[in-house]
Amino acid sequence: MRFKYLIVSIAICFMASMALSHPCFSGELSAYQIMKKSEALTDQAKDSKAEMTITLINKKGKERQRKLLAYMKNYDNGEDKTLIIFISPADVKGTSFLAWSAPGKEDKQWLYLPALQRVRQISSSGKGESFMGTEFSFYDMGSHHIDDNTYTLLKEEEVEGHMCYVIEAMPKDMKYYSKVISWIRKDNFIPIKVDFYDKKGKYLKQAISTKIENIKGINTPTHIKMHNVQNNRTTIIEFANILYDTGLNDDIFTQRYMQRGK
Amino acid sequence: MKTPCVIITLFLYVIIYSMTAFAFEYESDRVAMSLDGYLEGNGIYALKGRTPDEDPSYTLGLGCKSTLGSWGAFKLALQGVYDGKVFAAHNDRLFNEFDKVYQDKNPYINVDEAYIDIYTEKMDLRLGIQKFAWGRLDEINPTDNMNTEDFTEGTMRKENERKIGAPSIKANIYTDLANVEIGWIPRYVPYRLPTPEERWFPPVLKAPSVIPTNTSIGDIPVTAIYKDIDLPAFTIGNSEIGVRISGYIGGWDLSLSYFSGYDPMPVTASPTELIVELENLLPLKANVMTQVYVEPRIHRFQVFGFDFSTTYGPLTIRGEWAYFDGKYYVRKTEDILREEMTMEKQQAIMTEFLREFLASGGTKTRQTFYFEPQMELQKDSMKYGIGIDYIHGDTTVSLQCIQECILDYDKAKSVHFNKEGLDTTFTLDIRRFFIQNTLEIDLAGAYNIEFQDILVKPLLTYSFTDNIHGTLGAILLDGKYDDSLIGQFKDNDEIFAKIRYSF
Repeated sequence: MRFKYLIVSIAICFMASMALSHPCFSGELSAYQIMKKSEALTDQAKDSKAEMTITLINKKGKERQRKLLAYMKNYDNGEDKTLIIFISPADVKGTSFLAWSAPGKEDKQWLYLPALQRVRQISSSGKGESFMGTEFSFYDMGSHHIDDNTYTLLKEEEVEGHMCYVIEAMPKDMKYYSKVISWIRKDNFIPIKVDFYDKKGKYLKQAISTKIENIKGINTPTHIKMHNVQNNRTTIIEFANILYDTGLNDDIFTQRYMQRGK
Repeated sequence: MKTPCVIITLFLYVIIYSMTAFAFEYESDRVAMSLDGYLEGNGIYALKGRTPDEDPSYTLGLGCKSTLGSWGAFKLALQGVYDGKVFAAHNDRLFNEFDKVYQDKNPYINVDEAYIDIYTEKMDLRLGIQKFAWGRLDEINPTDNMNTEDFTEGTMRKENERKIGAPSIKANIYTDLANVEIGWIPRYVPYRLPTPEERWFPPVLKAPSVIPTNTSIGDIPVTAIYKDIDLPAFTIGNSEIGVRISGYIGGWDLSLSYFSGYDPMPVTASPTELIVELENLLPLKANVMTQVYVEPRIHRFQVFGFDFSTTYGPLTIRGEWAYFDGKYYVRKTEDILREEMTMEKQQAIMTEFLREFLASGGTKTRQTFYFEPQMELQKDSMKYGIGIDYIHGDTTVSLQCIQECILDYDKAKSVHFNKEGLDTTFTLDIRRFFIQNTLEIDLAGAYNIEFQDILVKPLLTYSFTDNIHGTLGAILLDGKYDDSLIGQFKDNDEIFAKIRYSF
């Protein structure tokens, strides 16, 4: 199981997909049932395309912006492919990142740097690292498989005036995080907050979705704020011009298209 | 750059002029167009005073890219350069030529790339001035021989920036099995060298100032004349072609390649005039001097290549192998002199001089003898390398080992940059980003086993804003020998500063 829409919203929806395979009962609904409903809201598109604006905010409050184009496509066999192309600023324009993910297999990732004019395969074990200086890691930007985690429904709690299910995911190999806790709204099953803990178990960062839009019947977080409490830096990702199910061609998710760019 | 205040001057220069810089973007349903560029200033401070001076250089780069729906694109990349290395420009042309070796213009405009793309479902066609990028290693790519390089700044610039765009046609044919890339360069574009007075002119290509004879003649003074290249006729037979078949199989990016064309590396010949002039008849005494014409020569060769890239755990592993069929190497000067300046040859020249002198009735007191020493040596060879990358956090470590092996090496005819058939270089690059990618520290180095060459290149790049980047770096070079690839430049240690405004 994996996300069926924009990969970067993974940061928010991370928990939604992970909880699916491990039932854990609350009073009314099991964790599985909760997440199934949550996932159903986001799992409706076969492909997606969106413009992204990433704002990097350092601890002094200084801001820098990057603009990207993101494409994602899901396949019936469980595979998914993602392509991200940098539009600005000028020094990273044309840089692109391609990821292929398949159930039970290591992700395959490539990076194209215009300055080298070469596509380079990169190890997916570097996925825990920062994605282009943001507080999102390559792992956050990719898709995940639910069998890699175990889950617990911790409690119910109010966040921003919404009652939420609080679900804890424990990755089995703790490669990137020791645990991830998410808050899923009870009324619409949309995850609105996710806390990430580093490999040592220390609180690392928090993602908050402050804006959710219904696009083509799909509830989509369009404003995600990730704050790293350890380095006091923040990344905001905003989506615009989101298009679902446009029938993206498979050719987009190739090294050919990486080099061609926008 | 001789004083630190030049850095400030450069900075102010960029700031002031950047006010006038602009970027332009237009997008409609069918057409998208962008105009962008950069303004860059750089200067060096030579750490050893034995090398030629160099003033700050300034570059204005302009790029225009347009996409025409889903069927085509256009790109133009120009650079206007004020070249601080060229003090006495010998060439008043404005554009960099595609038929000259020496960059002796200032200022000038360089057409880096200018091409149109035509996309079809299964094929991309690119027509125009373009760069090819083959191989998987960093900076040294044995399989990548389609483009020649600009050596006017030594190792200051990255490999892709050193490449000279070649007017050519490239077709990429995509099938389910593999991608077939075919490149055709109708006319060879020569590599680019600085003029012999500049600090990055390769000393091994320079003629010696004197030729020792070990006889009563003494050392013969040499006048060197550096000629530009004579290109082969513009015919189909003299064009260059390359084919590369790439595929992704079981986690491996694999490529096979073939190239038939001219060796992109500099090789020179030295036709020599030996002038004998009678000074005294009794006792017989003659002045002897030589005039050496250093001429760039190009030779066709074939390159059969293979390269790969894959991941293994946290590592990315890259490799390349190339077989050069018919490659030419530059022979060492001392070997050539040993062959050419034998006692027998010297006596034969003097005998011939006297015979002509007597036959002319004593009027032919100055005679010229012509030689063409065998400067070049053809040997098949292989060059291969492997690289490993490791990424941890914001740190990237890349280690490479690259070796060249000359088959059937003849010890009596040694060549530059190779010792008894082998040349082995390790490279290491450690790069780390700090402060949300605004500060980059890069430490690159190379060590050659056979020649004990060392290159260290620390770089510190800071992004003042998204558009203004400053770089402070150094190049430190050393080697046991004066005629090894790095050792020949061991007086060229320098600190450099660069600032770039992108728009």
